[in-house]
Amino acid sequence: MMWSAIKAFIVKELKLTFRSKASIFWIIAWPAIWLLMTAYVFVPPATGQPMTLKVGVVNYDVGSTSPFNGTTLIQILNESEYKGAKLFQVKVYENETPMLEDIRRGRLDGGFTIPEGFGENIIFGQARLKVYVGARSLQSAQIAESILRGFIQGLNNGISMRKVNETLRYIEIYSEKYMPKNLTIPVAGNRSWLDFMRDWMIGLASPINVSFQDVKPKAFVERSSILGWYTFGAIGMSLLYSGLIIGSTMAVREKEAGTLRRILASPATSTDMLVGKTLSGLITLGIMSAIIVILGVYPCGAKIIWNPMNPAHWLAIILLILVSIMVIGIGMILSLIARTTESASNLSVVLGLMLAFIAGIWFPKSWLPTWMKFLADIFPATWAIDGMRSALVYGATAAELMPTFLKVLAAATISYLIGIIAYKKTLRRYVVA
Amino acid sequence: MLKVKYGVAGDPSIEMGVDVCLMVRDVSKRFGDRVAVDGVSFKVHRGEIYGLLGPNGAGKTTLLSMIAGILEPDSGEISIDGLNALDPKTRGRVGYCPQEPIVYDNLTGLENMMFYAGLHGLSGGHVKQRCRELLDQMGLGEYASRKVKTYSGGMKKRLSFAITLIGEPELLLLDEPTTGMDPRIRRSVWESILRLKEEGKTIILATHYMEEADELSDRVAIMDLGKVVAEGSPEDLKNRYGPKAVIDVELSKPATDPEAMIEEVKPYASEGRVMCRNGELRVHVDDPDIVAPKIVSELVRMGVGLKTLKITTPTLEDVFLRLTGRRLIEG
Repeated sequence: MMWSAIKAFIVKELKLTFRSKASIFWIIAWPAIWLLMTAYVFVPPATGQPMTLKVGVVNYDVGSTSPFNGTTLIQILNESEYKGAKLFQVKVYENETPMLEDIRRGRLDGGFTIPEGFGENIIFGQARLKVYVGARSLQSAQIAESILRGFIQGLNNGISMRKVNETLRYIEIYSEKYMPKNLTIPVAGNRSWLDFMRDWMIGLASPINVSFQDVKPKAFVERSSILGWYTFGAIGMSLLYSGLIIGSTMAVREKEAGTLRRILASPATSTDMLVGKTLSGLITLGIMSAIIVILGVYPCGAKIIWNPMNPAHWLAIILLILVSIMVIGIGMILSLIARTTESASNLSVVLGLMLAFIAGIWFPKSWLPTWMKFLADIFPATWAIDGMRSALVYGATAAELMPTFLKVLAAATISYLIGIIAYKKTLRRYVVA
Repeated sequence: MLKVKYGVAGDPSIEMGVDVCLMVRDVSKRFGDRVAVDGVSFKVHRGEIYGLLGPNGAGKTTLLSMIAGILEPDSGEISIDGLNALDPKTRGRVGYCPQEPIVYDNLTGLENMMFYAGLHGLSGGHVKQRCRELLDQMGLGEYASRKVKTYSGGMKKRLSFAITLIGEPELLLLDEPTTGMDPRIRRSVWESILRLKEEGKTIILATHYMEEADELSDRVAIMDLGKVVAEGSPEDLKNRYGPKAVIDVELSKPATDPEAMIEEVKPYASEGRVMCRNGELRVHVDDPDIVAPKIVSELVRMGVGLKTLKITTPTLEDVFLRLTGRRLIEG
């Protein structure tokens, strides 16, 4: 191999790439658009914060003299908080028709209709309450019902406990008068009758006293980590179509420019051209990935960890190089069927974007149907991108990354070797054409 | 299957005199059913300009591609200074200038030169200086830093020519170097080619312009349908295959029935060779003094108007016509 020829190819390719408006669009503008849209539309700055639902209330229990009535419920709705944020923003309606209209039009996340006699019934029997579940936005649609159900559950428990305590107060007063002293219940551990009744009634109201503690890993719920995930999604997506373009147009671009014969007539070999173009492709993909990381971290707020002393982080960089080589190799295989620069570029973009969307690179695997999950599980580019995420976003160690590294190394070697065979075949075809 | 054998330095089976730069022996190449080059053999002496003259499709470009090491022959031998033409080291001795001015439009003239310099293994600070010198020689010095997409066709052609010289080749393969150029630029390219010959370069010039081959070549191989049909110096070819003289008649108005006119003139022509094109009649004759008045009276009798009549010596075009029965540039 001739280093001066390889260097000449690298310099030439980089100059031509970064002087082309189309290349700049695909390398910088396209991933930037996706990343910014994700950061400010799909994962907006409030992501991870408690959500406030907008709800409507129609209160037909106006004028109730019960200590707990429709007005009390509206007050509770207004004062309910979760992690310091208000749970509901309440709008009171005169009747159900305009409230339902607003729910249907997506102006409210839900609504309550408090029937007449609600206060009376809640004290002396069972009260009825109508709850309507709506959706005001993509985010609230997924959680409005669970928030409303959770709230009603909590309200039920609270009222039950109030009723139990009130009832126990009377039981204590009357048991003093009418029950024998020192009466114990043997099957309940010889507890006094009064203690037994208290525990029994609390158990009726709330059989399980659940305590929830928030111990979710921050990496999975913080907006910055979510954006870190998407930053590598943008790298994976861009790397797929750009790498495929680089591989699939390696020979055809020179053939169409008419420069192939002149290159082959020089002392440089087709291997020099392959190595030079692959290296320039890797540099281009590296620059593109760096730009995406900068865009992800600075305007968008993604969290990406980088510690030069951490071997896992260097392994992630090697994964990036390997997946780039692999995708360039697949691009070279595509050159067997795409015989013009235009068709090769179009095919590469379509295939690259499609794979990014269906193979778990842009959308999380958990969102995908079963057959796509299978594709994501067997697609080496997804392994590599997930490997980079695990190291640079979630802090995986080098040892944890090693199996992924070995699998991606094997995949990159195989696809690039097949790509070389395809490249040589394509060159032979173009030379005799 | 035919076995391809390439020359090796010191191989006694190869006749390689000190003055022979290129040897092509019994080389053939076919693409599918089409035979592009059919058993071609010739030798090119060091320091000479060797013309390959033939119409489009004669096999000149395919032959040059094989000499340049781009294509592998199906059979036969090609050796440059006794070395295999396909060897990358041998390719360093050859400068190939393709027919089209193929350069990268989004690079500057200097960047194009630097790229090809790299492909020839040149590196270091002096390379840029060498590239600038070549651009100056081609009159492109002041445009060196401009992107090639702003160049005219002629400038691109000159840049392409400069690129051919970047590796200081001993053997230059020029494929139709002046096609599409206006006469002034063509003349300047001819001068450059002659200057390179003076510097001791060996040049193979593929062209379908007979004036170009005639003016520049020391020896010419006339190619048709993939074969060399004749070889020799232009004068030798004209003496061997050309008529004694040629009568060119410029008609003042086109003949109403050109076929009938040709038939009437044929009896006076050598071997019946008469051509009519673009209002001109060209007749090969053996005895111009006797037949010229007869041809004029025959044309007058037919009512054809005459503007001028010239008796000239034959050209390589006439040789080609004699050998193939067709003109170099049909039209």
